[in-house]
Amino acid sequence: MAATPLPRSEAALARFLAEESGADRVEIGNLELLAGGAIRHNWGFEAEFYGGWLAGRQPLVLRTQGPTGIPSSLGLVEEFAVLRAAFAAGVTTPEPLFAETDPEVCGKPFFVMRRVAGTAQGRHITTDPALEPNLPGIAERLGRELAHIETIPPPRANLDFLPLVEAPQHIAALRSYLDRHPQPRPVLEWGIRWLETHLPEPLPPVLCHRDFRTGNYMLDGAELTGILDWEFAGWGDPHEDIGWFCCKGWRFARLDREAGGIAERAPLYRGYEAASGRHIDPQRVHFWEVLASVRWAVIALQQSDRYMIGGERNLDLALTGRRATECELEILMLLDPAGISAHA
Amino acid sequence: MHDLPHGPALLRLAREILLDELLPLLPEERRLDARLVANAMAVAERGAEVSFVPILAELQSFYGEGTRRDLPQRFASDLRAGAFEELPSRDGPARALLWHLTIARLRESNPRFLAANGVS
Repeated sequence: MAATPLPRSEAALARFLAEESGADRVEIGNLELLAGGAIRHNWGFEAEFYGGWLAGRQPLVLRTQGPTGIPSSLGLVEEFAVLRAAFAAGVTTPEPLFAETDPEVCGKPFFVMRRVAGTAQGRHITTDPALEPNLPGIAERLGRELAHIETIPPPRANLDFLPLVEAPQHIAALRSYLDRHPQPRPVLEWGIRWLETHLPEPLPPVLCHRDFRTGNYMLDGAELTGILDWEFAGWGDPHEDIGWFCCKGWRFARLDREAGGIAERAPLYRGYEAASGRHIDPQRVHFWEVLASVRWAVIALQQSDRYMIGGERNLDLALTGRRATECELEILMLLDPAGISAHA
Repeated sequence: MHDLPHGPALLRLAREILLDELLPLLPEERRLDARLVANAMAVAERGAEVSFVPILAELQSFYGEGTRRDLPQRFASDLRAGAFEELPSRDGPARALLWHLTIARLRESNPRFLAANGVS
């Protein structure tokens, strides 16, 4: 859809950056709306800092809220706090720089982070022949990164706003959404019922990214340059992010490669287990993978709600609602594997 | 009695013109939008050709009831409650319904995804 203009002047942003960085002045150029970001808008730009601790030319990203969101996403300032905690813990993320809640600067809350090089496009990452030999290594590295994220345990004073969402809370939230949805979704009800009757024993909670997947990390060539999009983060089960990463909805062009469309599971698991010292339980991952498919289906429906209920004139969002049925097929394939030959 | 050419045929022609003739004239930054429009037209075209009447008939047969409008909602509620789990004679047909509904919806929304999962 057509680019949304940044709602305040570049001059106000330049003044803000100068004040925050201690620069005499800042000049901004090459402002562009970046691709991706269904819930947030990301604006890339170049900033020339004259003085201050960022002196020189800096490629930056301004991240702000889209016209409407979905209920489970964090506010901008909270996402900024999570990003700061992850960056400080050594997770490969863009460095967060400044956050602002005053709407005078650009019309709504935002934060600024360094721009990292590369691409996050899932289709490109899963199909680029030049990347092929490196993909198992990237999967292993992502497993280590995931273990690193989990080194941030609750409780933490500066992250006390983060929700603890374990499987029963997920199930309640998913059902609550279906209760409000105008169309019955029998497969999702059936899948949630299975989840409810197969709850794993709770484990001590860790920080979950909750959108850790192909499409949300940047690769510059074969180098991982940043894990993006922390707006769903919260405390939860250590297997939740693994299930999300492996769920079929995020394999793009390579449905056959179960670790995010880039590799078999083995290198991802190896990296995670080596860095965390924890053993991955395949049964628990299976549970969280089913939950991932249900959750992704509900997020897809919520995205199309932004058009159907919220009035956001966006064809991409409207079409995303149809992807819920792809998740339903996956739920059936995971829970009734014999059914495909019997009923297809 | 619909007029001719049929809606799906018009959509197919319009989509071909959009992709083959109009899209190359668009600036690069708007081509993704044009592809989304073409995708929406393809869904609408297939939607006019996929029938859910057999699924509804299967649901009516499952409950042994006529044309009650609330059967899909009742089916969803029963699945939430696990109503068929202990009854093999009901669980099998319930699962069959879930598969048939999902496959029919994907034939409309994304037959390529269906094929990639081994369903032709």
